[in-house]
Amino acid sequence: MPETVLAAESLTSGYGKAVICQDVSLALAEGEITCVIGPNGAGKSTLLKTIAGVVRPMSGSVRIAGREIAGLPAPRIARSGMAYVPQEANVFRQLTTHENLTMGAWTDPGRAEAACARVYGMFPDLKPLRRVRAGNLSGGQRQMVAFGMAMMLEPRVLLLDEPSAGLSPLMVRHMFDIVRRVNADGVAILMVEQNAIEGLRVAHRGIVMAAGRVALEGTAGALLDSSEVSELYLGTRA
Amino acid sequence: MSAYLVSMGTFVGFFMILALALNLQWGITGMVNFGIAGFYALGAYTSGLLSAKLGVPVGLAIPAACLAGLVMGAAVALLSVRLREDFLAIVTLGVGEVIRLIVLNEDQITEGPRGLRIEARPFGEMIGPDLYPLFYLGLVAACVLLTYAVCEAIRRAPMGRTLRAIREDDVVAEVLGKNVLLHRVQIFAVGGFFMGLAGALYAHYVQNISPEVFMPVVAMFIWMSVIVGGAGNNRGILLGAGAVMVFLEGTRFVGDFTDALDAEKMSALRIIAIGLLLIVTLRLRPRGLLPERKFKAPSD
Amino acid sequence: MSLQMIVNALVNAALIAPPAMAFSLLFGILRFPNFAIGGYITVGAFAAFTLNVPLGLPLPLAAAGAMAVTALVVWGAHVLVFRPMEGQSAITLLVVSIAVTLILENVIRLFYSADVRGFDIPLQRPWKVFGAHITPEQVEIIGWSLAIGVMLHLLLAHTRIGRAMRAVADNPMLAAIRGVNAGRVTAFTTAICGALFGLTGVFAGLDLVIEPLVGWNLTIPIFAAAILGGIGSPYGAILGALLVGLAEEATILVLPSTYKIAVGFVIIAVLLLVRPQGLFGTAEIKK
Repeated sequence: MPETVLAAESLTSGYGKAVICQDVSLALAEGEITCVIGPNGAGKSTLLKTIAGVVRPMSGSVRIAGREIAGLPAPRIARSGMAYVPQEANVFRQLTTHENLTMGAWTDPGRAEAACARVYGMFPDLKPLRRVRAGNLSGGQRQMVAFGMAMMLEPRVLLLDEPSAGLSPLMVRHMFDIVRRVNADGVAILMVEQNAIEGLRVAHRGIVMAAGRVALEGTAGALLDSSEVSELYLGTRA
Repeated sequence: MSAYLVSMGTFVGFFMILALALNLQWGITGMVNFGIAGFYALGAYTSGLLSAKLGVPVGLAIPAACLAGLVMGAAVALLSVRLREDFLAIVTLGVGEVIRLIVLNEDQITEGPRGLRIEARPFGEMIGPDLYPLFYLGLVAACVLLTYAVCEAIRRAPMGRTLRAIREDDVVAEVLGKNVLLHRVQIFAVGGFFMGLAGALYAHYVQNISPEVFMPVVAMFIWMSVIVGGAGNNRGILLGAGAVMVFLEGTRFVGDFTDALDAEKMSALRIIAIGLLLIVTLRLRPRGLLPERKFKAPSD
Repeated sequence: MSLQMIVNALVNAALIAPPAMAFSLLFGILRFPNFAIGGYITVGAFAAFTLNVPLGLPLPLAAAGAMAVTALVVWGAHVLVFRPMEGQSAITLLVVSIAVTLILENVIRLFYSADVRGFDIPLQRPWKVFGAHITPEQVEIIGWSLAIGVMLHLLLAHTRIGRAMRAVADNPMLAAIRGVNAGRVTAFTTAICGALFGLTGVFAGLDLVIEPLVGWNLTIPIFAAAILGGIGSPYGAILGALLVGLAEEATILVLPSTYKIAVGFVIIAVLLLVRPQGLFGTAEIKK
């Protein structure tokens, strides 16, 4: 039985008085990809933001490798071995590619140089762009920078918010290849995807959210086969 | 003492008119104006110069001052089309300063720092000097009421809802088919009209105007009135203007009790106190003493 | 345009370039036009005056002291006034920043009166270069201004804290996600900018006079330089300062010099209408 690296229990959060995520529990095992799917407004992104500390939880707990992080500010959580890639505004547009990557090693600057070399190995396309401002990159290149920045300090857990959003079909495939490769290196990934079929195909397990709660969960294969999921959330009949 | 109260009341009136006009522009419609001192000066010098240099009767000079403010307001509003509000703030402040500089430098016409002497006063020949200050207070009070009535009518009319929509999100208002530019120009012009009126009333009251009165600090006092009173709420504005003026003037009396501070130091202390009043109000009541009530969504 | 006017323009530019860079940096992080800079510059001028004249310190030491005092004041204003108002609209903060300037100016009037003062330095004969006069102090101002430009560049481009300053200005949320403590970066930025405003106060005292309105009179040219350069871009601010300096001198050719301070406003108004992102900037400042 692999170890649980990320565990959320009865997590409730929202903005102001509005509750968006209600009583969500999930567990992410070492080396596993879990994909969170569900209709718009189901609270998927808010769930990730709460785990990453960008949105403060109202109640519940989040543990990384057994250590409680719920309620800590985002800069503290950045030191917990978990890296979060937001969906939008996930690069520093005024900074160059290389500077963006070094920002990924902010909490441990001693490792920046070696880490940059490793990330350029992962994304060779970025190497010639190292002096280009991220604001001038294409959408796919920017996504690679965002991804690379999160990978700098070799996190144990990666939180990805819609990695395929706004990319061309070719880039989407490329992106999911990268997700697989990173995962093959042993990184556990919790990913939110609008593109449910593609997301579940990459993932080991799936969670279906609706109206802020976990509606269904199971292995990715089972969810893909489930007629309920197909009708309700995938929009196709299997 | 009572003469002093009458004079102070008159000045509170000028402040109230200016603050109501700013509330119309900013509190209700969301358009920034830091050039209030310029509009005030424009009104004062238009009316003052027309009556002192050209002999135009006061009954025509004062409306002319209002008209000057109206035209100027419409012109400045056109700037608001392209500018984000914080930069519009800098530009309007600039407009005010440029007006002051013109008054200061073109002294062959305006008498510059020597001050422009204005003899003519509304109904000056008909009312004796004993009663005149009281009469003028009444005149200013009537103008305050008029301004209040117009501002309140605009706020309550269907147009008021459109204006708030523009304030909250001009793009949405535009999409909903509202002519945002036209509304902006109209409201800014109406605000300019009343600021011109306040300037003219001031000019014929003090009968000697000079550019150092129209420093940007005037704009600050009016902004403080609106923020302290509660932007968007006309009654709050009256309260705010009264509070700021009483605070400004009331602190004068502190000087009477102590000889340690000369006039210069007292005036410095007063401005410090006003600045602190603003900061403390914003910390304790971020939406002002009488906040605008949440308006209902259109039901039609 | 004579050589003398170009010299004057250079001195003007050297005077407003450092605070324009500082204003740009502050705007990048705090996101509102901070009118408090007028008060900060005045504080710098009077702090240096106090250390130099009544206390008799040599001017370089007094200038260093003034930079420290102003840095402390700017940081204090941030902690006491601006930080608790986070989330208020830019306009409210702008009004508050004018209030801060009024408070600082008048605290100084309270203690020093509005008299015009100067530093205790030996009167030096201006040098003559190809017929143009330039005082040794003006040469120093230009030299220091250049040095500050270079140092600020090194700080922003090649140090860890400099990179964090740019990152927080660019995307505060992402900076927090990557572990940057934005509060500390902001505190550092306010202190650096404060030191620059303090130094500007010293320069203004050398080149102009020391009086409570000295900072207010420089505020608009500084805004104009920063906006010309593209707000939030400290390098653009240097070029912006040069253009404002030249424009101010050129105005004297056609208008009485008393209109000089209107030049900044006119530049701002025209530029914002024609090219809202500034001459060299990319950041949008139109709505």
